[in-house]
Amino acid sequence: MRHHDKASGITRRQFGKYATAAGVALAASPAALRAALADGAPDSAQIIAGKASGMLVHNAKLAVMETPLTMLREHAHTPKEILYNRFHFPHEGDAAWYASTAPAPADMVKNWTIRVDGLVQRPRTVTIADLQARPQEKRVMVLQCAGNGRSYYAAKQKVAGGQWKNGGMGCVEWEGVALKPLLDDLKMVVSPEAHWLTAEGWDQPGTPEGTDFAKSYELADPALDHAILALKMNGEPIPAQNGGPVRLVIPGFYGNMHVKLLTELLFMAAQSNSAFQSVGYRMPLGPVEPGQFEANDYTIYNSVPTYGQKIKSVIFSPLPEDKPKAGAVEITGVAFNDGQAKITMVEVSADGGKTWMNADIKPAESPWAWYHWSVKAKLAKGSNTLMCRATDDLGRTQPMDGLTRWNPRGYEWNGVDRVEITA
Amino acid sequence: MRLAFLSFIVAVGALQAAPALAQSEFNLPEGPGRNLVYGQCQTCHDLQNPVESAGIPRSAWNAVLDNMKEYGLRITPEQRAKILDYLATYLGPNPPPAAKAAPAPAGNEEVDGAQQFSDVCAACHEPDAKGKKGKFPALAGNKDLFLSKDFPIKVVLNGLEGTIEVEGDKIKGQMPSFDFLTDDEIAAAVNYVRSHFGNDKLAPAGFTEITPADVAAVRGNPMSSKDVYALRQKLLK
Repeated sequence: MRHHDKASGITRRQFGKYATAAGVALAASPAALRAALADGAPDSAQIIAGKASGMLVHNAKLAVMETPLTMLREHAHTPKEILYNRFHFPHEGDAAWYASTAPAPADMVKNWTIRVDGLVQRPRTVTIADLQARPQEKRVMVLQCAGNGRSYYAAKQKVAGGQWKNGGMGCVEWEGVALKPLLDDLKMVVSPEAHWLTAEGWDQPGTPEGTDFAKSYELADPALDHAILALKMNGEPIPAQNGGPVRLVIPGFYGNMHVKLLTELLFMAAQSNSAFQSVGYRMPLGPVEPGQFEANDYTIYNSVPTYGQKIKSVIFSPLPEDKPKAGAVEITGVAFNDGQAKITMVEVSADGGKTWMNADIKPAESPWAWYHWSVKAKLAKGSNTLMCRATDDLGRTQPMDGLTRWNPRGYEWNGVDRVEITA
Repeated sequence: MRLAFLSFIVAVGALQAAPALAQSEFNLPEGPGRNLVYGQCQTCHDLQNPVESAGIPRSAWNAVLDNMKEYGLRITPEQRAKILDYLATYLGPNPPPAAKAAPAPAGNEEVDGAQQFSDVCAACHEPDAKGKKGKFPALAGNKDLFLSKDFPIKVVLNGLEGTIEVEGDKIKGQMPSFDFLTDDEIAAAVNYVRSHFGNDKLAPAGFTEITPADVAAVRGNPMSSKDVYALRQKLLK
C-alpha cells in the first residue's frame, strides 16, 4: 500500500515538471490528471498556487506536503515556494483563497479583525492597520511540524497519520508586533482568574460537527515574552498558505502552535476544549508502549501539548541522491532546539556510531534559528551509516535511539539522525 | 541537487494563477466496507491519509475512528463497525492477498440504492437528504436532479465545483468525484434519490429510470468538476 511513497513519487514529480513546463497543468481536466497520476496525489504545484513542483505530498485535499532535503538545503531562509505546509481543514470553496503563496486578498486584509476577549473587563478589536502602526520586530526561527519524522517511529510500531520524513521544517524570518506589550497597551483589565491565552483562526472544519482549531498557552510561560503577531514572512506579507494576513508566532514552539489566519485571542481560566488542544498534538507525560496507550487515550492530565521543540539535528549532505564517491567528504547539516540554550556540540559519525567527531558549528542568526555545522570525514567503499547528534548548553541532547520516545500520534521525533550512503 | 533547484525555478516562474482542481486518486483494496471508506472519509481529507497509515493494528484504527469523530466524522455505530473491520483487515498489519478483479455485478437488482445512499451520499447530504445549510446542499427537493437525464450521473462521476443556490441556500463548495462506484451502484443511487425524499413529485412527465448502461456512457466522456458546474448553469437557463 505504500508503493506511491517512493516508487511512483518519482513519476509524479516528473509529470509535475513536464506539466508545468508545458503549461498544461492549469488546463488539464481532473479525469486526465487522474489518468496520468493513477493511484497517487497530484503534484504540489497543482495543490497550492505558486508552490514548487516536486514536494513530497502527504494529503492533497488538506494541502499537506514536506520539502525534499535536496531542495531545503539550498536556502538560508526557506522560500515560501518550498516551505512545508500543513492545513487541518479542506482548502475548498470559501477556503480556497488560502491555498496560495500569494498574500490574503486586499479586501480581506482591510476588513480583518482580531477579537481580544474572554476574562477581561474591556474586550477589544484589533485591525491589521492597528498592528502596522506599532513597532515591528523580527524573529528568525525554525518552523517545524510536530509530526516531522513520524515515519521513523515505524521501526518500533507504525503510527497513523502522514508518514513524514525530515522535510517538515524550514528556517524563516517572521516580522510583526510583540504580543505582550500589545496586550498591555489594550488596557483590558484581565481577571486574575485568567491563566490561559487561547488563539483561534479563520479556518473552519470540514463538517459542522468537527472541532475548531484552537491552541492554548499558559500566560505565565516565558516563551510568550518573545511571541509576535506576525504580518510578514521572509520580508513580504505572510503568504495565505502560511497563515496571512496575521499569524501568532511563538519562537521555539512546534508548527501547530503558531495559529494561522488569527482572528481571536481569548483570556481563559482553562485551556481550550478544542480536540486539537485537548487530545491532538500532545505528548504522553512518560514513556508509553504500543498497544498499551492509544491515540484516543490522551487526556489533559496524562499528556502535555507539543510546545517547545526538542533538540534535533539533521544531515543535509551527503544524501543518497548525491551519489558520493569513496574518500574525503564534508558532512554538513543543521541543528536547533527551543531557543532556551545555545547548541554547543554536534557529534558526527561516519561509521554507524563506532567513532565520533565534533563538527564545526557556525553561530545561528537568532536563538531560534538553526545552526549550520560541518565536519570533514572519509567514506568507505560500499555502505556507510552517517549519524549526527546535537547537545545544548543545558546538557540536553538527542536520544541515540529515538524509538524510546515512541508515541501513538508520532510527534516530536528527535532521535539521532541516520543516513545510509553507498559510496 | 541542481536538478531539484532547477525544477523549483521552473515551477515558480510558470505558476501564477490558481491551480486546477487537484484531486488525489487512491485505489483501496476490494473488500466489504470499502465504499463506506470512500464515501465517508473524503468529506474532510483524501484517501492518502488511510493509505499512508496502512499497516497499523486494529486498536490504532479504532483510536483513529474515535479521533475522527472529534474532527467531524458522522457515522452510525453500524457503519463504524464496518469501517473498522475494513481498515483493520485490508489496511492492517496482515492484509489478505489482493483479490482478483471482482466481476461486475450482473444486474441492477443486486445493488440497493438505499444502501448506496446511506453509505456514500449521506456523509455530506445527511440521512434525511436535507443537507447542511451553507455547507452541503439538500438532495430533497433539489431540482438539479432533473436538469437532464444525465446530469446527476455527471455530478457523481466528475464532482461539482462552484457556487450554487438550492432552495434559497447559497453554497460555495466542492463535491468530489465518486467514480470509484460501479455503474450499477451509481444508477441505483441516482434512481433512489430521484424517487425518494419527495423528489418523485419533481419528476417531469414520462421520466424513466437510468440504467447502468447510461452511467457507462457518461463515464466514457469525463469532464472536470468546473465543466459540470458550467453545464449546470447552461441547463438552468
